[in-house]
Amino acid sequence: MADAASTPGASGSGTRSGSKQSTNPADNYYLARRRTLQVVVSSLLTEAGFESAEKASVETLTEMLQSYISEIGRSAKSYCEHTARTQPTLSDIVVTLVEMGFNVDTLPAYAKRSQRMVITAPPVTNQPVTPKALTAGQNRPHPPHIPSHFPEFPDPHTYIKTPTYREPVSDYQVLREKAASQRRDVERALTRFMAKTGETQSLFKDDVSTFPLIAARPFTIPYLTALLPSELEMQQMEETDSSEQDEQPDTENLALHMSTDESGAEKENTSVLQQNPSLAGTRNGEDTIIDNPYLRPVKKPKIRRKKSLS
Amino acid sequence: MNKKKGDKGFESPRKSVVVSLYSRIGFVELTIFPTVTNLNRIKLNSKQCRIYRVRINDLEAAFIYNDPTLEVCHSESKQRNLNYFSNAYAAAVSAVDPDAGNGELCIKVPSELWKHVDELKVLKIHINFSLDQPKGGLHFVVPSVEGSMAERGAHVFSCGYQNSTRFWFPCVDSYSELCTWKLEFTVDAAMVAVSNGDLVETVYTHDMRKKTFHYMLTIPTAASNISLAIGPFEILVDPYMHEVTHFCLPQLLPLLKHTTSYLHEVFEFYEEILTCRYPYSCFKTVFIDEAYVEVAAYASMSIFSTNLLHSAMIIDETPLTRRCLAQSLAQQFFGCFISRMSWSDEWVLKGISGYIYGLWMKKTFGVNEYRHWIKEELDKIVAYELKTGGVLLHPIFGGGKEKDNPASHLHFSIKHPHTLSWEYYTMFQCKAHLVMRLIENRISMEFMLQVFNKLLSLASTASSQKFQSHMWSQMLVSTSGFLKSISNVSGKDIQPLIKQWVDQSGVVKFYGSFAFNRKRNVLELEIKQDYTSPGTQKYVGPLKVTVQELDGSFNHTLQIEENSLKHDIPCHSKSRRNKKKKIPLMNGEEVDMDLSAMDADSPLLWIRIDPDMSVLRKVEFEQADFMWQYQLRYERDVVAQQESILALEKFPTPASRLALTDILEQEQCFYRVRMAACFCLAKIANSMVSTWTGPPAMKSLFTRMFCCKTCPNIVKTNNFMSFQSYFLQKTMPVAMALLRDVHNLCPKEVLTFILDLIKYNDNRKNKFSDNYYRAEMIDALANSVTPAVSVNNEVRTLDNLNPDVRLILEEITRFLNMEKLLPSYRHTITVSCLRAIRVLQKNGHVPSDPTLFKSYAEYGHFVDIRVAALEAVVDYTKVDRSYEELQWLLNMIQTDPVPYVRHKILSMLTKNPPFTKSTESPLCNEALVDQLWKLMNSGTSHDWRLRCGAVDLYFTLFGLSRPSCLPLPELGLVLNLKEKKAVLNPTIIPEVVAGSQEFPGSQDEEEVDMDTVHDSQAFISHHLSMLERPSTPGRRAREHHHHHHHEHKKKKKKHKHKHKHKHKHDSRDKDKEPFAFSSPASGRSVRSPSLSD
Repeated sequence: MADAASTPGASGSGTRSGSKQSTNPADNYYLARRRTLQVVVSSLLTEAGFESAEKASVETLTEMLQSYISEIGRSAKSYCEHTARTQPTLSDIVVTLVEMGFNVDTLPAYAKRSQRMVITAPPVTNQPVTPKALTAGQNRPHPPHIPSHFPEFPDPHTYIKTPTYREPVSDYQVLREKAASQRRDVERALTRFMAKTGETQSLFKDDVSTFPLIAARPFTIPYLTALLPSELEMQQMEETDSSEQDEQPDTENLALHMSTDESGAEKENTSVLQQNPSLAGTRNGEDTIIDNPYLRPVKKPKIRRKKSLS
Repeated sequence: MNKKKGDKGFESPRKSVVVSLYSRIGFVELTIFPTVTNLNRIKLNSKQCRIYRVRINDLEAAFIYNDPTLEVCHSESKQRNLNYFSNAYAAAVSAVDPDAGNGELCIKVPSELWKHVDELKVLKIHINFSLDQPKGGLHFVVPSVEGSMAERGAHVFSCGYQNSTRFWFPCVDSYSELCTWKLEFTVDAAMVAVSNGDLVETVYTHDMRKKTFHYMLTIPTAASNISLAIGPFEILVDPYMHEVTHFCLPQLLPLLKHTTSYLHEVFEFYEEILTCRYPYSCFKTVFIDEAYVEVAAYASMSIFSTNLLHSAMIIDETPLTRRCLAQSLAQQFFGCFISRMSWSDEWVLKGISGYIYGLWMKKTFGVNEYRHWIKEELDKIVAYELKTGGVLLHPIFGGGKEKDNPASHLHFSIKHPHTLSWEYYTMFQCKAHLVMRLIENRISMEFMLQVFNKLLSLASTASSQKFQSHMWSQMLVSTSGFLKSISNVSGKDIQPLIKQWVDQSGVVKFYGSFAFNRKRNVLELEIKQDYTSPGTQKYVGPLKVTVQELDGSFNHTLQIEENSLKHDIPCHSKSRRNKKKKIPLMNGEEVDMDLSAMDADSPLLWIRIDPDMSVLRKVEFEQADFMWQYQLRYERDVVAQQESILALEKFPTPASRLALTDILEQEQCFYRVRMAACFCLAKIANSMVSTWTGPPAMKSLFTRMFCCKTCPNIVKTNNFMSFQSYFLQKTMPVAMALLRDVHNLCPKEVLTFILDLIKYNDNRKNKFSDNYYRAEMIDALANSVTPAVSVNNEVRTLDNLNPDVRLILEEITRFLNMEKLLPSYRHTITVSCLRAIRVLQKNGHVPSDPTLFKSYAEYGHFVDIRVAALEAVVDYTKVDRSYEELQWLLNMIQTDPVPYVRHKILSMLTKNPPFTKSTESPLCNEALVDQLWKLMNSGTSHDWRLRCGAVDLYFTLFGLSRPSCLPLPELGLVLNLKEKKAVLNPTIIPEVVAGSQEFPGSQDEEEVDMDTVHDSQAFISHHLSMLERPSTPGRRAREHHHHHHHEHKKKKKKHKHKHKHKHKHDSRDKDKEPFAFSSPASGRSVRSPSLSD
């Protein structure tokens, strides 16, 4: 279809030929502009005496024209922003053109040349509308020290805060009631969630959702979960115990734990293990050194080995 | 039987065992001294071990291995009666009993050494063996996770019921055969091997990947007290006693530290009362998973279940665990250090260890707890003996006549520990310590402790001696030796007491009533005895009676004689005379009483029979309700209070209610009494439902004690600092939930109350965990459930769910789900939830379905959960008569990895059987009989306890004789080959008539029997030969015959060089004789069922 674009007569059919429209408004807009540029190039070519042109060359010229115009726009915008404005003025364009090496004086004569072709205005296509932000409340006007051309303040909801104060509930009954129902709600929600996301068992054949039981899953080491206090309980224990427990046994506990951890880990090299007894000794007071056979280092095998294993 | 030393012909002073757990290869070296000149065969015990090679003094020795307990009755036998089995089993166990000089392994002394033996010179026996996949004796726990064995927490330990060491190495597996030990174990370098005696050294192997632990036990010890535990244990040296070391599985160290922090006090206590140091130079406690029993004591080490470990936040488990520790330590002195001469002396050891453990209880938990415990134990043993017909502590087997069996009322032989039902054995231990207490009552505690001290000091002197058999025998206790030292120390004759309680089974049953004779001012007391029902015996001797009168409490000792039932007791006070005075109590206290309830004519407040529990008895005493009420309020003995609470159940009156409520409120009162009062109050309230006024029983009391002052419907935030009120707080709602209104429903008010307790439960500020409390709240919910009103078996669906049940179910669902996210200690809440769900199912609110329970019963759940779930499945099996579930359970008994669970299923099935011998059930069929028979006959040969459990179940289901569901015994069908037809043997018909049970229709029976009589020619000829017997042989004749054979057999044994195989062969030959029932294993004749009924 586009191969006929070189003929000036095709100019009118520009919008119709874009059969690939109907995508989205932004694309449509873009295509329409491009098509107008193509018409312009074609008419300029006709003006220059060409009867036909290859599609590729028309495309190239269109591309060049587009780049040129874009550059003018970009440059003009820079100039205008350079002077702290948001809208470009004529002088910005002029400076731009001068900058780009264009003789501005020739422009009026060229515009008034006799053989110029008049192209119809491009069809009106809907500019894509950016959805308007919901305005909430009145935007605050600029305070006097801010120039009026500066952007407006954002909507008030983005920065305004309304502090609220309520009487703290002190009624014991209400508090307990609240704590209980909150905990219950959390627990129920949590268990329901777990039940929904995992396997469940049910007490009723016809209904699996009213009383969903999280399916029983065997543990590889069941005694650990059964015996060790949960983290929550540990935390609680620390909270409640901190006042009563003196430091002495705690540190002892820690030291003992460390030493046995080492022996439990059973490092291959004996040097680590040899530290153990000494560690134990320092810990339990200088006067008594624990001599327990299980804390002694493991001996290296003797050269002459007993005939132990058959 | 007798002279076991002579029988065995040797003594072994030294033994060393070397086991490499890596390859599970080991060797044992025994040093023995022959005691007879012509010793040419040595019998040892060994099970499961594959023996490669035996050398004696470096000479190869031939050996024979034969274990008759592997298969008790031969598989081709179609015998299915339990009498037959029990006799055969007892015979099989005897045949390998080390105390009788027998064993599974028979080693022939090479002829080159005979001269050596005749000079009674030392022999060194060297046995190489391997242990492949042992099914019993050693238990392996290997969690299936990633990582090395040590990272996975894999461990192994020895376990078993009584002498079970033969399961893991060849030895003389007897408690009376002492020797010193040298033990070596080679294990992975990351593992620790804990065994008996002192750890001498630990040495790496050459590749540094393994370690060898060398242990030396210089104190002579029986093989049965040898044990082993290997695992990646965390090691904790006791901070108070450095020679004591504790071991636990990885990650549990903080719990171990807390749990064992108490142990040194137990040590101190025992050492002080026994005035004797702990006999071993070191002590080790090992906490392992999948324990066989909670506590197992071995020489210088004890193996505990890891589930006994707990943190400081746990209240309920703490006393239980401490009791376990104390129990094991008591057994270190009596049981491990001092061993027993023979099985019939077991009661002395169990008695002493139980008794000193009781003393520890008294000191630790107080006199109230102690007396409560004694009462509890007494009630247990009384109930058991009355149910089963008696527990005999010191069985004497005179003359070897099996028909003199002292325990003929039982379905098992009590001649060996390994044939004993587990329940019987626990009751045996219970009775033993109660009898020790009776002896103490007789000779005083001081003398008692002197006797123990004497036994211990003799033993420790002996233990330090070099091998001398007569010296070492001081370390073995026998009944006669024990009694002798009692009479030496105390100078008292306790023979009547021993005769009554030790040499004889049964308890005493008293019925008492009284009348007051106002004219003579005499109390006429009548005490009757029931000594004819099973499990009872006649008591003759002194009996203490305490009478509380207005003027005080008076003790009277009555002499119970043959024919005197009535006893006149003069009263000290006149009725009503001193109305205003305070009344003196037994303990010297003087109290004001409101005497308006009393009988105006009588000065008697209450009467107690045998208040000190110095007879093993059950007392049913009749006195008026007000007397029980006075007893409850003013008697200071907790046992008396409990007795009165029990009695008051029969008197639902406002006065009883008031007495119970007062006790409940009294904070000085023992908490267990108050807990008992809760349940009694619930029962009384239910009986008085039509006249009950005010809020439901206990509600206002609970509100006053545990709820907020300002808002009485909200419970205070938990604070369990006071344990007494904690226990009461736990118990009251459980008891309240048992209340019923006139429609026999739980009052709505009570249910709301319990739901509110759950709702407002707040443990954030509490120092202790509330998991037991919450679990009991669920129990309370379950207690409130009443049977659903069902309309013609409609299917239970959600739509017709009772709204109250819906609320309960919601709580259970939430609790059970929360357990998955925040598990509670020992999963107490899951356990309670599972039980509650079963209650809902049973009451028809929720469809009865075992699927949920089956999933919780799987291996991999915590053992308490599994047991609770299995209990529900067992119950389902019974209620729904489900064959499928029964099969599932039986399959689990055979395949489950945890021995305890297998044992537990059997005992639960026995306690709650799907059917019994006296009821009919579609479940009872031939396949089941065969299955169970196989289970006890050969399927459980690796675990004595399990086998005895299977025997118990078989007994419960089918009784002693041939199960009624079986087709008539094979003898019932006589094949007449000539006429080619089958006729019923006329001799068995009487049995069928005598037994009230239905017998199968004759049509299929013929078919089935044709199947069983498979075409083996030999079998038929065997049957034909049976025909030749007199058709109705008298019992006497047969018995005689039996004895004859038995003695015959014995004679052969005396020859003792009789080849085992030959012996067996011999018996086969016998089978072909016309009188066929005399294989060594059989005790009874084929047709004995007709007689045993």
